[in-house]
Amino acid sequence: MILTDREIRIALAEGLITIDPPPDAAVAFTSTAVDLTLDPAIMVFKGNVAGIDIVIDPGAPGYNSEETLRQLTDPKTIPAAGYRLEPGVLTLGWTQEYVKLKNSTRLAARVEGRSSLARWGVGIHVTAPTIHAGFSGPIQLEMINHGNRPLLLRPGMRICQLILEMSLGTPEKGYSGQYLEQSKEPSSTRRRRRPRAKKAA
Amino acid sequence: MWMKVREIGQGVHHSEVVVEIKTMGGVERIVLDKRAIKNGEIEVGNPLAMRDHGQLLVELPREAMSGAARVWVKQDSLARRQSEARAA
Repeated sequence: MILTDREIRIALAEGLITIDPPPDAAVAFTSTAVDLTLDPAIMVFKGNVAGIDIVIDPGAPGYNSEETLRQLTDPKTIPAAGYRLEPGVLTLGWTQEYVKLKNSTRLAARVEGRSSLARWGVGIHVTAPTIHAGFSGPIQLEMINHGNRPLLLRPGMRICQLILEMSLGTPEKGYSGQYLEQSKEPSSTRRRRRPRAKKAA
Repeated sequence: MWMKVREIGQGVHHSEVVVEIKTMGGVERIVLDKRAIKNGEIEVGNPLAMRDHGQLLVELPREAMSGAARVWVKQDSLARRQSEARAA
């Protein structure tokens, strides 16, 4: 089930989800989402150089995605006047907002684009929109302009929307630590416990 | 539950750090928000399963660089905070 604006506000008030700075109560919400804004820090992928063939190998021993990104991107800060997102150039960005979902919550979230940018061909994620329970931090955006004209990004602009969904049940990691208790028992008496079902009244 | 991590560098965004955790399958590297680390530990929720020799299955707060989301770790790499102990 997708949370409505009213339910998102309740989840925020109860601390099930944190958005910092908090969204503008008047204008940041839609019926079933809350808008997030663009942080000025972006990483722009460098273009290819003739004669140099760089292949990313995430399975290589010692692979460090951040070091690789530093080699292949240029860090930039979006000025107030804006930054031209050129067609076809993958650019990493982040939301200005810090988002946290508790481990024990029955909430998950998805970050999605906004139609006002999609109509120009701008996507803000590449197939990884899910925010799991336990996540915390600004949300990374993989922005790419699939259109044929540059689009001006400005710091603080509404860049994406966060859709909150209620899961069917609490994730296993949100339950009490049954396995820790088990590990204190002798191995001969150890067995997997399941949460006890409540007796019918 | 909280798991020990070792900071090894900065992320590409000013809010991020790179940490390493020791798992039964080797070292995993994860990009995390700085605020997620308290006294060299990160919150991972409760273990999902246990196998012999005190190994516990935990879900990482974010996908590791290798793509791993759930990893087996030694029990002694996890600790319960006082507030959790009271709630249990």
